[in-house]
Amino acid sequence: MQDLLDAITTGLQNGDRVDSAIAQSDLPQEDADDFVEMIQALQSALTPQEPREAFAADLRAELKKGESSFLERLRGMPARVHVAAFLAICFGFVLFALRRLFGSETPQEMQEEAVVTPL
Amino acid sequence: MKNPFSSRVDYKALDDTELVALAKEDMDAFGELYERYLQKIYSYVFYRTGNAHDAEDLTAKVFFRALSHIGAYVDKGVPFQAWLYRIAHNLVANWHRDQGRRKIIALDEYVAHSLKSEAPDRLTEEREEQSQLLQAVRRLPEDRQQLILLKFVEQMSNAEIGAIMGRTEGAIKSLYHRTLLALREEMEMLQNSDLNRSEG
Repeated sequence: MQDLLDAITTGLQNGDRVDSAIAQSDLPQEDADDFVEMIQALQSALTPQEPREAFAADLRAELKKGESSFLERLRGMPARVHVAAFLAICFGFVLFALRRLFGSETPQEMQEEAVVTPL
Repeated sequence: MKNPFSSRVDYKALDDTELVALAKEDMDAFGELYERYLQKIYSYVFYRTGNAHDAEDLTAKVFFRALSHIGAYVDKGVPFQAWLYRIAHNLVANWHRDQGRRKIIALDEYVAHSLKSEAPDRLTEEREEQSQLLQAVRRLPEDRQQLILLKFVEQMSNAEIGAIMGRTEGAIKSLYHRTLLALREEMEMLQNSDLNRSEG
């Protein structure tokens, strides 16, 4: 039955006659007529829809514009790029925090400062 | 996203796989994919939502999502077309969830629009039948609606539909059979309820 319905649908979509396929099957003629009628009704009711031209043009322009944004591009990149970017940001933050905590002097400068400072 | 060679590439001659590979870096390649699939995705979303306004809104979302994820797209045997329809399907499902209801009224908008140019007398009955049929389709479970739309609006083969829905060809054939039976029952119910209303 499912093969027959599939064959009837394909036949009707291709504009072929489906009588012989139905005649060769066990399906009662009344049921077959019901299905053929329904498939034909679906065919005529469900036709492709065209979007408005203005909508299509606007969307195309927006897509072109939107893609130039850095965040959009970053969002579309693979997960490993996200991880690398996250690690780089973390590393930068830690480096910044360390410099703030311990100042920017080199160890030698710190040692010299300790020598001249009276106890 | 620029390709210094883009002016030399004949995008129309490329298949989807080649275009997708280029589209990761080349907006013009994505533009060709957009041209190829805009009408298909719009049609699909239109029938799933039932009105042009939401269809435009969701279609735009589908392509923005595709654009932002195309860099991560890996061809694992699922064609680009199927990937795009899956995005559309997920967005439509979210839309229905957000709506909390199915907009059946909107179908009349389509039927009225499609038949407005034809003689009203002869087509009143046909218009009602089409409206009923579309209502019956919209009452089907989500996967069956998807199957009917892909088969009739997009005229896809069972293999193509299977790739989009993640099922085998045999499973699609079986689902189609069950869907037609359910649709026939639904139509009978709608016609009977109309008959009872007119008699009462």
